[in-house]
Amino acid sequence: MSTDNDATTEQVDLAEGIDHQVAMVMDLNKCIGCQTCTVACKSLWTEGGGRDYMYWNNVETKPGKGYPRDWEDSGGGWKSSEHNERKPGEIPSQEDYGDAWEFNHEEILYNGSDEPLRPDSDPEWGPNWDEDRGAGEYPNSYYFYLPRICNHCTHPSCVEACPRKAMYKREEDGIVLIDQERCRGYRYCVEGCPYKKVYYNATQKTSEKCIFCYPRIEGEGPDGETFAPACAEDCPPQLRLVGFLDDEEGPIHKLVNEYEVALPLHPEYQTQPNVYYIPPFAPPQHSEDGESVDVERIPRNYLEELFGERVHDALDTIEKERDKVNRGGESELLDMLTDTNPARKYRLEVFDDE
Amino acid sequence: MSKRGGMRTAATAATIIVCFVLLAASVGPAMVSARPANQIPVESVSADAQPQDPTSEAWDTVPAVGVPMASAPSSVPNASETSVESIRVQSARTEKRLYLRLSWADGTADRNVSGPRRFADALAVQVPVNTSARPPISMGSDRNLVNVWYWSADGKTEELLAGGPGTTTKFEESAVETETTYDDGRWTVVMSRELESSAENRTPFAVENNVDVAFAVWNGSEMERSGRKSVSEWYHFPFGPGPQGPPYESILWTIAGLAIVGVALVTVKAVQKN
Repeated sequence: MSTDNDATTEQVDLAEGIDHQVAMVMDLNKCIGCQTCTVACKSLWTEGGGRDYMYWNNVETKPGKGYPRDWEDSGGGWKSSEHNERKPGEIPSQEDYGDAWEFNHEEILYNGSDEPLRPDSDPEWGPNWDEDRGAGEYPNSYYFYLPRICNHCTHPSCVEACPRKAMYKREEDGIVLIDQERCRGYRYCVEGCPYKKVYYNATQKTSEKCIFCYPRIEGEGPDGETFAPACAEDCPPQLRLVGFLDDEEGPIHKLVNEYEVALPLHPEYQTQPNVYYIPPFAPPQHSEDGESVDVERIPRNYLEELFGERVHDALDTIEKERDKVNRGGESELLDMLTDTNPARKYRLEVFDDE
Repeated sequence: MSKRGGMRTAATAATIIVCFVLLAASVGPAMVSARPANQIPVESVSADAQPQDPTSEAWDTVPAVGVPMASAPSSVPNASETSVESIRVQSARTEKRLYLRLSWADGTADRNVSGPRRFADALAVQVPVNTSARPPISMGSDRNLVNVWYWSADGKTEELLAGGPGTTTKFEESAVETETTYDDGRWTVVMSRELESSAENRTPFAVENNVDVAFAVWNGSEMERSGRKSVSEWYHFPFGPGPQGPPYESILWTIAGLAIVGVALVTVKAVQKN
């Protein structure tokens, strides 16, 4: 048994010098776009102090331009899986992020104005400006939601981009952090991250990012309890699994490394994310008469653009397992994907005794 | 005119020319520039003349050195794309303080870093911690530290300690005072610090040897920051005992002059033989 374990451990590709790697699996089939995760994150970490425009967690509509706008065309990441040369990247403009709008609450709520509730400014873009727009034509339009946080990559190009070594991967769990004492706000990390998940704080004059709620997973809460990141715990449909990639008994390892149905977003950026997605299924296309036809609504090539060519096998595997269950069989995979037990979904204390 | 007479005339002319060259070699450099290469002369001024003020008349009589600037070698992206090609440097001292007045052209005063793509104009002055040894120009090394006085147009001046690129660390309290003006497309910044320093790792200026100094400038609107900057070579303050530096220029002038005379004589002789 121990020999087996050792053999598998070698297969889990952790960053050099990292004891364990936190990871998250998000099942896109469960996301309803309610933004509760976004609000949970914002109210914990990014209210005020120069952080208003930041969404360390955001949920964007796909297909869509995302947040910040067109982040997928902004460069960054690595040129190859050798990780020896980075791709040039750009810092998004404030317009591409969108501003934190001020609203006319005062007039409407207290001064009896009949005006509609709207921003004081006249914005032309902002997060979720293209929400629910998607692509395709009636009756075969389609879209799905994509929640995004920092991927806490195994080969973080943001860390490599920092000329001051102010960014690092935490040895104990691989969380990518910015040392706020070392950071001088040069923003090479902002342009170097291909997911644009590092943000410049013009008030603090440093860059900031998702910290995987490390105080929560360290049990720094009021009762010393360990919690999963707020985006995961507060999710109404509970679409996120949180744990360690190298916890072989946990669902994340099984979904990522055994069944290979949980995939990183844009693997071609070569940073090796540790946030993984169960790709979305949709009902088949309809004919003009409203009859289902045997054509996938979300084009496979679009999903391949997002999740790489392994998406085909992943979708096929899930489909097979669903068929198995439909025929009355058992499926460990579907059990994991439909598990509602928090103790199994959030496995953050498995290495506490080390 | 006889051939012999011609020879004598040529010889006399040559002697006169040599004398002139030697005279020119001694006086010429003084007329062109009284300084050894890469020197920032430090003029004594009265503290009453307010040298901290960039517009003070105290600076009218302080000689200015035009310092050429070039892109710093750096691993950051687009490091070779920098915009400032030269700065003007003046230096003065009172009994207690050393002043530097630095001025350069920049079409936009970038004071505001309100957005993710906005960077502030900035200036840095670098001096070795140990003034008797010249550190590597790129922010020193771990064995040979430098002090960096860093002014950024968003209003702050920091006194930093560095031992190589990417290692700057703030002194707990900056001892450097800065006043700036932006006028007619030019930044003018006066930085000063007390000559004496008893603090650890803070460069002393009350010394009996020349003190190296180098400069860096960032143009914020060109997204210059970090290693993407225009930098100078090492210059020095002539705090050492005179004569101030080796007389390279005089030596070069003499050699050049004598070479010209030599060529002239050989040519004259050759012409006469024909």
